[in-house]
Amino acid sequence: MKLIYTDSLVVGAGLAGLRVAIASKERGLDTVVLSLIPAKRSHSAAAQGGMQASLGNTVKGMGDDEDVHFQDTVKGSDWGCDQDVARMFAHCAPKAVRELANWGVPWTRVTKGPRQVVVNAEKVTIEEAEAAHGLINARDFGGTKKWRTCYTADGTGHSLLYAVDNKAISMDIPVHERMEALSLIHDGKRCHGVVARCLVTGELRAYVAKSTTIATGGYGRLYEVSTNAIICEGIGQALALETGVAKLGNMEAVQFHPTAIVPVGILTTEGCRGDGGLLRDKDGHRFMPDYEPEKKELASRDVVSRRMTEHMRKGKGVDSPYGPHLWLDITLLGRKHVETNLREVKEICENFLGIDPAKDWIPVRPTQHYSMGGIRTDATGQNPQLKGLFSVGEAACWDMHGFNRLGGNSLAETVVGGMIIGKYVADFCQQNTLEIDTGLAESFVAKVQTEIDTLVDGDGTENPFELKQQMQRIMMDYVGIFRNGPELDKAVNELQALLKRAKALGLKCKKRHANPELVEALRVKRMLKVALTVAAGAAARTESRGAHAREDFPQRNDKDWLSRTLASWPDAQALSPQLDYEQLDVMKMELPPGYRGYGINNAIAHPDTEKREHQITEVLSQLGDEADRHERQAALMPFAVPESLAPKNERLSEMTPQQVVGEAK
Amino acid sequence: MSQEAKKGRMLTFNIFRYDPQEPGDKPKMVKYQLEETPGMTVFIALNRLREEQDTSLQFDFVCRAGICGSCAMVINGFPTLACRTLTTKYPKGDIMLMPLPGFELIGDLSVNTGKFMRELAERLKLWLHPISDDIDVHRLEAPMDPAEAAKLYELERCVECGVCVSACATAQMRDTFVGAVGMMKLARFELDSRDGRELEDFYHVIGNQDGVFGCMTLLGCQDNCPKDLPHMQQIAYLRRKMAVTLV
Amino acid sequence: MGIINRSKLSGWLDISQSVSGVVLAIFLWTHLILVSSILLGAEAMTWVAKTMELSFLTADGHGYPWVVTIIAMVIAVIALIHVLVAAHKMPLNLRQQRALKQQLNVVSHGDTRLWVWQAATGVVIFLLLPVHLWLIGAAPETIGPYGSADRIWQQGVWLLYLPLLLCVELHAAIGMYRVAVKWGAARDLNSRSRMKKIKSIISVIFILVGIASLLAFLPYANV
Repeated sequence: MKLIYTDSLVVGAGLAGLRVAIASKERGLDTVVLSLIPAKRSHSAAAQGGMQASLGNTVKGMGDDEDVHFQDTVKGSDWGCDQDVARMFAHCAPKAVRELANWGVPWTRVTKGPRQVVVNAEKVTIEEAEAAHGLINARDFGGTKKWRTCYTADGTGHSLLYAVDNKAISMDIPVHERMEALSLIHDGKRCHGVVARCLVTGELRAYVAKSTTIATGGYGRLYEVSTNAIICEGIGQALALETGVAKLGNMEAVQFHPTAIVPVGILTTEGCRGDGGLLRDKDGHRFMPDYEPEKKELASRDVVSRRMTEHMRKGKGVDSPYGPHLWLDITLLGRKHVETNLREVKEICENFLGIDPAKDWIPVRPTQHYSMGGIRTDATGQNPQLKGLFSVGEAACWDMHGFNRLGGNSLAETVVGGMIIGKYVADFCQQNTLEIDTGLAESFVAKVQTEIDTLVDGDGTENPFELKQQMQRIMMDYVGIFRNGPELDKAVNELQALLKRAKALGLKCKKRHANPELVEALRVKRMLKVALTVAAGAAARTESRGAHAREDFPQRNDKDWLSRTLASWPDAQALSPQLDYEQLDVMKMELPPGYRGYGINNAIAHPDTEKREHQITEVLSQLGDEADRHERQAALMPFAVPESLAPKNERLSEMTPQQVVGEAK
Repeated sequence: MSQEAKKGRMLTFNIFRYDPQEPGDKPKMVKYQLEETPGMTVFIALNRLREEQDTSLQFDFVCRAGICGSCAMVINGFPTLACRTLTTKYPKGDIMLMPLPGFELIGDLSVNTGKFMRELAERLKLWLHPISDDIDVHRLEAPMDPAEAAKLYELERCVECGVCVSACATAQMRDTFVGAVGMMKLARFELDSRDGRELEDFYHVIGNQDGVFGCMTLLGCQDNCPKDLPHMQQIAYLRRKMAVTLV
Repeated sequence: MGIINRSKLSGWLDISQSVSGVVLAIFLWTHLILVSSILLGAEAMTWVAKTMELSFLTADGHGYPWVVTIIAMVIAVIALIHVLVAAHKMPLNLRQQRALKQQLNVVSHGDTRLWVWQAATGVVIFLLLPVHLWLIGAAPETIGPYGSADRIWQQGVWLLYLPLLLCVELHAAIGMYRVAVKWGAARDLNSRSRMKKIKSIISVIFILVGIASLLAFLPYANV
């Protein structure tokens, strides 16, 4: 057995994982990253639109700050998020953007003077300030009060991933490519690393580490049609789940993006609508203002996705062999804009649809896009059940997104969360010693070895590809945008039947080295358990919140459901997860539950809400008028970030003219 | 949309098969047949072949949207991204798939581009060398000319798919040749006003036989790049810059 | 220091290849235009040949035929430089040749095939050009409508000139196109394809002019 020791082990080489690895290495810790694929191929690269950070450089972002970003994020989450975490995030986002500029990201910059933009289907001229010239620009995104999404044309994720991976290469951080983690090594209290299999040679290795950070992204591929890369299969969540100890949070919170192309499900960025694109039905009618007169196309994603589905159910969809769809119209933005700022969109339309988006409407429909749920962590990114197990990015339920994530907040989470949690991971590694129990490591390796032996040499007959397809169809049909009790129960039952069948998987290809069928078989068993946490969590949650929309329970129910679902799998042989709940404390919230500003206002209030509102008014009145926004915030909900990230963010609008001149020099 | 459900024609795939880890295995071409479906890409076709006909077939896909650069292979003589190659592009229905030449073969259509790119990045130091390392992330960022930022992004669109290397006869003949990908990336940093390296520093890594002076301007890179990057202009630009340092 | 010098060397080699190539191509085209004076008749060619021998500097109008010898020698030297600097880019060992062959089999690419043509014609030129230079350099005084015609048609040197003409005109035009693209004369893909077209036209025109000139010598050879 090959044993590899390190201080900080990171599973997943996307933005979040790499950022944590960099933070570890910066402290001189030995760091190893495992990845299924070369780091630069990670799904982070697919984020086109941008990342939110309240820099407030553009004139349409004037007046933006952490407070507004925080409020947008909490409202977007439908009050399901952890407000402490949302605060930490909003505070550090501008720092991450500025740091990345120094790592090579060519952020799109503000050009002084007048500029024509499309707002609400009309051409509007805005005038950018002289002082803002050359500073980082931002664009409009759904669910945000200000233009806050920093971007590099429409390849933001790509630029960020390349800059961060380049940084990692410059620091000599090893990325073990084509390694798949299959099991965590743990003793029930502490995580000691992972067992991983080399996808080329088939070799099993035990990586033993002080800290293990899972940054493997989401579980979109539990669904048949998803915008996610095909490696986003929830294996990271399965690693935690299979310990029987670690818990997953809010797995039922799955976001559907309004505009993925039909049929292949490739995303067209929210930037299309942010820049002024419209949604039209089969009659060419712009229907979003009928449903959301204020926010229109730019209401939050869950709302737009549901409105689109609703509209198609009324028979207003365009028929196609792949079912109904709607149109995304960006022709009004003009060819120049499409060919420079929405170039990836143009390429995708040309290559996969054979159309020219500057001239033709794009066929779109809501498609699985993002996993708000994931491995539950505390604010430092550590799993509360397993010491030494961290998780970050989409893989985690750090919980800044609650039940719905805002566009531009996922890319932001990877680098901001990575920046913050990276420091906590490094702290952990410095404060703890490496506990080496080779016997324990061996036992976990042996378990995976037995699993592989059974698959290769056993007499099972079930086809892994077929099981996966059936699972994906069940998730699509019964755990989709609109959900109801009977269908969710059906989903749970059918998934359980598949899980049973998965015990008798058999392979046609018996190779022990590079063998795609073996890989599929190892994954599908794990994916089924993760799928069950989603379906079971959704079936149990009898309310509608954010992306979780129950037709039979259309109201948001703060009274009974202002809580986070926690799923675990204590009995490996069981066919369903164990669910319990973590209550959110309204009395500690800076922003007590209220109306999101879009969608239907039909929430059942929490008994503490009114109490907390009174308390807030009182606290603020005691502070007096001279208190600035930072002091007011600290009085309501103090939060902590690592010391080096604590200073306030400088903003153009908050600087004196003299300072601005000084900056320009 | 004019995608009507019609009975698909039969496609013939002629696929390179070889497992270097399997003792006694020899490279060979194997034929597979598959019915075409509307909107079918080589990505869809290969997955169906693996699921329905031969589960041992190796290939790499990640984003399946032409973004990540994992799936480059040679399709009917042209190296390109398989995920965004529609099968309708081939009127005869014959599709020959070969692994990308010039890279370590993992098996069948899977090659190790990742290892190549990482080694290249280490060798050429393909990262931003900021003029100053200690920036204050709490303070207003340094301004940058908007046109420069836009230009940098243009060059940064490379997805490291390896097509330029596989399409370059020079790279095939000389292992140490940095290829278009290396030169393009250096050109990107050379243009970046935030990078502290001088022309001499760049000369040191590509002002030689393995760099701009070994390139024979065959332009396989330019003609096959799935991202339509301006290799021709950028390599010429670098070459002129490097030549200037001679005098 | 050693490293820098070595790397500077490859820069110089590359520039020398381009410069020597351009000089040779320009000479070649001028040369062919001069030779094609035969198309205008014997007198025209005689005048050109004499002028090349600097006849206007001598009273008797005989000029200095050795000037031609010197030109031949200079061209030989430039050509040799060109061969030496170009050769190190050719597939010299077996492994490289195999790699190239494999590449041509697997990947289909026009400009790479053009380069293969250029390399092949280069080899042919490398073999034939010295003979041509020797023939001319050794007997410069014979250049003229009758002397040349005699050489071409009676002594059978057309067997040398015809392949040399084809090779050299392909090689030079492709080479000029590549040099232009190499140093950035093509701003975009459109101007590149335009240049490629011009290159082909130049090859064809010069080959036609060359063949016509060879044929135009025929009447003088029969006298």
